[in-house]
Amino acid sequence: MHKTISILTGATLALSISAHAATAQVLFWSTQAAPVEETQKMREDVLSGFEGGVDFQPQEVGPFVTRLEAELEAGSGSIGVVGALHGELATYAEHWADLSGVDLGGIEVTPAFLELGKLGTQEQKYLPWMQANYVMAANKQSLEYLPEGADINALTYDQLVQWAKAMAEQTGSPKFGFPAGPQGLKHRFFQGFLLPSYANSTVTKFASDEAEAGWNMFKELWQYTNPASTNYAFMQEPLLSGDVWVAFDHIARLADAFNQRPDDFVAFPAPAGPAGRGFMPVLAGIAVPKGAPDVEASKRLVRYMMQPETQVATLLATNFFPTIEVTLPEDLPASARALGPAIQAMTSAEDAVPSLLPVGLGDLGGQFNQVYTDAFERIVLAGQPVRDVLDQQAETLRSIMEQAKAPCWLPDQPSDGPCPVE
Amino acid sequence: MSTAVSVDAPHKVEVRSAARFLFIAAIVVLCIWVLLPIYLLFVNALSSPQEVSGFPKTGLPSFDFGSVRFFLSFAGVLQALGNSVLVAVLTMVLSIGIGAPAGYALSRFDFPGKESFRMLVVMTRAFPLPLLALPLAVLFIRTGLDDTAFGLAIVHTVLALPFAVLITFSLFSGIPIELEEAAWTLGCNRWQAFRKVVLPLVMPGIAASAVFAFTISWNEVFAAAVLTIQNRTLPAFLVQSLNVSPLHLKFAGGAALVIPALIFIFAVRRYLFAMWGIANR
Repeated sequence: MHKTISILTGATLALSISAHAATAQVLFWSTQAAPVEETQKMREDVLSGFEGGVDFQPQEVGPFVTRLEAELEAGSGSIGVVGALHGELATYAEHWADLSGVDLGGIEVTPAFLELGKLGTQEQKYLPWMQANYVMAANKQSLEYLPEGADINALTYDQLVQWAKAMAEQTGSPKFGFPAGPQGLKHRFFQGFLLPSYANSTVTKFASDEAEAGWNMFKELWQYTNPASTNYAFMQEPLLSGDVWVAFDHIARLADAFNQRPDDFVAFPAPAGPAGRGFMPVLAGIAVPKGAPDVEASKRLVRYMMQPETQVATLLATNFFPTIEVTLPEDLPASARALGPAIQAMTSAEDAVPSLLPVGLGDLGGQFNQVYTDAFERIVLAGQPVRDVLDQQAETLRSIMEQAKAPCWLPDQPSDGPCPVE
Repeated sequence: MSTAVSVDAPHKVEVRSAARFLFIAAIVVLCIWVLLPIYLLFVNALSSPQEVSGFPKTGLPSFDFGSVRFFLSFAGVLQALGNSVLVAVLTMVLSIGIGAPAGYALSRFDFPGKESFRMLVVMTRAFPLPLLALPLAVLFIRTGLDDTAFGLAIVHTVLALPFAVLITFSLFSGIPIELEEAAWTLGCNRWQAFRKVVLPLVMPGIAASAVFAFTISWNEVFAAAVLTIQNRTLPAFLVQSLNVSPLHLKFAGGAALVIPALIFIFAVRRYLFAMWGIANR
């Protein structure tokens, strides 16, 4: 017995040491394209063309940040390229290498995105990698219940409530769905759609009367919302199973419904409130840490990611749209054909109120989101008085903003010092 | 008990059959408790995506291997599986190698600070891993332990050690010291007495606590995700991606995570049962 144990130990030790052989591949550390199917496509269709090879490793935010911070603190590591959302990259601005010297070969990158990528400095801290948005999707069966005179491309929240009510009453069960599960992106709806549409603000007017009106609308909408919504993460699943007919979600989380049954679903812009049509574009960027093992190879990968062919391949793999001027091929999948025009209609609407993802919160981002999630749970699920909840949550929000010293971002007016909560 | 009940024979039969019924019912409930989730996992893993999200369910697998095939072709699954086994075996060996002597010392010797030492052993579980992971990762990168199976195994050993120490402590305490003393009087030295008398008696228990260390390492995600990159373990590799994947792939991935653990438990079940004293009868 002892002999076998010692042999086993020796063998495993030898294995564990020999397994630690360095590879020349560039490690691509990402919070995006984490679902296994997207990861697979990123590796096979998007990154396989890069000379020298790429090790694409998508991560959840927790381990992603911990590993990144460890490498930044140690001053060296194995991460070659970081792919993450604008807000996540903004936290570590001083650690990114300047990418303004990367020769993109005459590619037109959307200027507004390039400006965001400077993170308020003179250097190009990251390059815009891909963009997405949130839209509404509906089963075509639901369209006959639309309130009279309503145009789904210019819907208001009041019309949405009427629509959901009509569906619930006439079909006998609630047919509106909302991604309120633990993995759902509900907080983005409150930050980027509900509050901007009602109060033209995400932070400053968090507890205003306008915001209160928005929450009251949502509370009413919730009566006609499928109660299983508190379990939903990806709305494409309940849409496909028919449990839900009308839903709000991130485009990458709706795509499967359009790809599996393109003729059954329509995509359309998020509704508008009294203050306009709030929406939240999602911008992901790619950056290179200053301590990357081979900065030149990393920059080559960044350049590769920005090429038109790669950008189109990325769209096919992740349902995130290009950030550069590029003509999309004719044979796009059904999801891109359906979702693209909806995004276009939303972002170019006359009453558009674009909101950014939170900026400058660093590791307080989770607590910031929790403020909105808590407000939702207390107001809508627990039925507590809206005014009291907003006043209490505003206190928490204020202390988070002060702790992070984060100035306001769109749609809130620019501030000196931390973004005020009135 | 037998004399008291035998006076009233019919009553005894009734009580016994009721007890028997309860006993069998409890066994059935326990079996369903364990087997039903596993059954559903496999049915859904072997069904097509439409069947997984569709309704009504047949409850029978249609043997659609699409999801499973996707997993086997997913780059790096097999390597991650190998790493998982490697790390888990290392953890098992290290935690028993360190934990069993500590347990023996705690049960056989009196030394100052013994009680506080026992408390300290458990204290290592008081700190959440996400808190420890950052300084650990920095240290590992600086010392070169980063991204090795051995480095990760050390961390998992720390997690498994309290259990190894406390389980082996109670095992050794259950062996009367007189047995060892008898061996000494018959010419054994301390080591021989331990090897020839004590070890055979506690071996099943040690095996059980080794299995426990194995599962702790197998299930750990956070440290594995932060401390390894090329040498991912299976849970670190899959669990995070599965969290945000479509339902049918969640089932297939779940099955992929459960099967190796089930095989392992089956392989060592003799030792587990032996600990409860029902083997070799």
